[in-house]
Amino acid sequence: MALDLNVNGTRQTVDADPQAPLLWIIRDHLGLTGTKFSCGMGQCGACTVHVDGQPVRSCSAPAETAVGKRITTIEGISPDGNHPIQVAWKEFDTPQCGYCQSGMIMSALALLQRRPNPSDADINTSVTNACRCGTYHRIRQAIHLAADLMKDGRR
Amino acid sequence: MGENHASDVNRREFLAIAAAAHGALILGFWVPERASAQAATPEVNAWIVISPDDTVTIRIAQTELGQGVWTSNAMMVCEELQCDWNKVRPQYASANRDAREKAPAWTLNVMGNGATDPNGGGEPGFGNRDRTGVSGIPDSLYRRMRTNAASSVKDGRYYLQLAGAEARERLLLAAANLWSVPVAELSAKDSIITHVRSGRTTTYGKIADRAAQTPHPNPEKITIKSPEQWTLMGTERKNLDVPDKVAGRIVYGIDVRMPGMKWAAVKACPVYGGNVRSCNFDAIRQMPGVRSAMQFPIPDPALTRGRIFSGGVAVVADHWYQARAAVDRMPIEWETPPKNAAFNTANMRDALLASLDQPGKVRVNEGNVDDAFARGAKIVEATYSTPYLPRARMEPGNATVLVTDNRVDVWMGDQSPQEVRFSASKITGIPEENVYVNQCHLGGGFGRNGNGPQAEQAIMIANAHRGTPIHLLWTREEDFIGTTYRAMGMARLKAALDADGWPIALEVRTAMQEDGFGPESSFDVASRYHAPNYRFSNHTTKFHVPVGTRRGIGQAAHEFYRESFMNELAHAAGKDPYRYRRELIARTSLTYKDDMIKALDIAAEMSGWGKTLPKGTAQCIALEERGAETNRMATISAMVHTVSLSRDGKVKLERVDIAHDTGFSLVNPLSVKKQLEGQIIWFYNDAMHQANTIKDGHIVENNFNAFKLSRIDEEPPEINIRFFRTGHWLLGMGHDRATSIQSAIADAIFQITGKRFRDLPFDGHDLSWG
Repeated sequence: MALDLNVNGTRQTVDADPQAPLLWIIRDHLGLTGTKFSCGMGQCGACTVHVDGQPVRSCSAPAETAVGKRITTIEGISPDGNHPIQVAWKEFDTPQCGYCQSGMIMSALALLQRRPNPSDADINTSVTNACRCGTYHRIRQAIHLAADLMKDGRR
Repeated sequence: MGENHASDVNRREFLAIAAAAHGALILGFWVPERASAQAATPEVNAWIVISPDDTVTIRIAQTELGQGVWTSNAMMVCEELQCDWNKVRPQYASANRDAREKAPAWTLNVMGNGATDPNGGGEPGFGNRDRTGVSGIPDSLYRRMRTNAASSVKDGRYYLQLAGAEARERLLLAAANLWSVPVAELSAKDSIITHVRSGRTTTYGKIADRAAQTPHPNPEKITIKSPEQWTLMGTERKNLDVPDKVAGRIVYGIDVRMPGMKWAAVKACPVYGGNVRSCNFDAIRQMPGVRSAMQFPIPDPALTRGRIFSGGVAVVADHWYQARAAVDRMPIEWETPPKNAAFNTANMRDALLASLDQPGKVRVNEGNVDDAFARGAKIVEATYSTPYLPRARMEPGNATVLVTDNRVDVWMGDQSPQEVRFSASKITGIPEENVYVNQCHLGGGFGRNGNGPQAEQAIMIANAHRGTPIHLLWTREEDFIGTTYRAMGMARLKAALDADGWPIALEVRTAMQEDGFGPESSFDVASRYHAPNYRFSNHTTKFHVPVGTRRGIGQAAHEFYRESFMNELAHAAGKDPYRYRRELIARTSLTYKDDMIKALDIAAEMSGWGKTLPKGTAQCIALEERGAETNRMATISAMVHTVSLSRDGKVKLERVDIAHDTGFSLVNPLSVKKQLEGQIIWFYNDAMHQANTIKDGHIVENNFNAFKLSRIDEEPPEINIRFFRTGHWLLGMGHDRATSIQSAIADAIFQITGKRFRDLPFDGHDLSWG
């Protein structure tokens, strides 16, 4: 059936099963492959997107739950890869393989939007995504830098 | 992806899809032949293409999986080419050309005097001309296309430097010919060629066409720069693909989409060696999107290094979630070998324990161990175990394959494209010269992932659907079946101490399954810690689990055994574990003993070793090394881990102090730091959380709910890294670093609680105290 979705500010109609995971609508029907599949059970967070500003593990969210809401993916946070959080991530050369990083950035961004000055404890509680390469040390520093950059009003 | 090739699909259409999906073209991505600027520009040599706008495309024969090889390989070429680093664009080298072309003769001879010559090429290894490409192919164009054994810099450096130097000399020669001046009067820097006397300049981009037509008169005379001449190599460089990684623009194998492509989901028999007895395609035929279903056999072990995986069922559908839903619904009965189905962790552990009591294969027997044990003032004995462990990379196994009548295209991230090429040829009967393995970035590697059968399964499915591109994607649960495992292992270490607490005899017995990638290749044949009487033996038994490399071979397990036992001996002797190690290394005649002592000294100093610590906090030291028994290449580090344990038993790694050998020089110290940080998390996971158990022959923990991955809250707040220079080329550092977290946490628990745990991981034990 036709699903009306608002993805990265654009209204799109997708003909798909409303029970299909939102992740695969985004990746396969809409061709936005920056959001990743890894565990398929909402554990690792590689599939994290924002739905109405809240971080959602899209591999486990039926597509119909996002109808009528604003969906934001990694492709939608900046036109040029230079959102302050991406600038901060680059400053620390944070990613290794990079596979988990889209989801990691979306989780961290949701935290920063809710709490512009997060403590380490806030980060521990809110950024619960898994990274197998072990980039956490740089992720933490990048989140703090991103908080500073966003406070400076750069975006 | 890499160098472009015509194929039987419409590449313009593919490009359109890729561009629509990502909004921008990806670095090094596979681009249509005619649309690409570089197609108009002849290459200077097989590694280097320079466009008129001065963009330098550098071909990378290894796979980028987070280790930074796209950047470090490019640095090695750029250093000698003397081009502008800001204009460098990496691109994957063509595994197809590698099947068709031989390496240039000037790349075949390694210059210099081996591991301890700073002016030479070190000690690269290429193995024999092995058709499967397991050991690299010594005379094919790109030679070593595998990405394993922490060896990309070790094996590739000299010929990547040569490739850059050859191109630079030909660019200079072309300019000299154009200007009719002696080549010796020209200099090159940052892609600009200058004739100082006349003040004339040109750029690499302007002269590249001519350079491509200008042969090198005597390429065998080309020399490479030694570390003191490096200006780019040895400096910290951010990774070239990071901007695309933070924008979600990098194409991994899972992101490949082709016109007309269908998705495949599979179920393989969870018990290795099993097969499909029956299945019912009719039950799912009418499900949405389903196109076809098929059985596939156990992949030919000749294509999977002798490992026996399983046969299974594949469903092909328009979308992957449809294929997955259908294969989940499909009624399947398995045919499992009863012997394999009888294995479980408990009886496998018993078998390993029993093998420790068998004679085993004695590798070293120095002095008279039995006599010395009879004389010992104190005998210390301990048995340790390490579980089966997978790599569990974040990107599940996948491959996209198109088979037509006389050509195979594979799109995937794989650590050994030469092996995939061989598999594709064997399965389809199409010659390797017509196989195109289009590399993608890989979402984590940690051991040659292609030795799981995702490529072979995808090729079998696509071969049955000729003309249709098939994208196979494993579920996470399938990935736990399809991966290979670091073998479960046990070790019994026994020492006799004299009255002062120094070992007079050491006996080491290790047990692992046959071909378990450990006993034969990892444990130190020579003891790193001196015992005048020393015996080391390997004990094997037969299990059915396919085993392979995993961030090293057996080294991580063996260093857990060795360093844990050294802590136990130091405690039994009443001596300081740092000074105890230091003295026992000093008593050896190992070539690199001074470097090992230096590593311990630096790590101890960095950590403030011996300072008073709060109650519930302990410091533990350990040595980590590869190659220290030789006078060849080696990597040596030591770490001090500061570990706290709350009264209710929660472990926290507070701080890590690392002293790490650079050899003559690192290539990109930033990548090395990142990999050290990453391995801290890796081995923390091994110490605390991760184990795969076996029940009725199958792997039990098969997703991240049961197989735990540490999160950011377990990352140590303080990591200090200090590098020190040594007099050999480095053996590599992509694995076997931070293995000491395992022995350190064990010893911290002992120091704080008095309880000694010798079986990894430590989760699930009562660690409370006070």
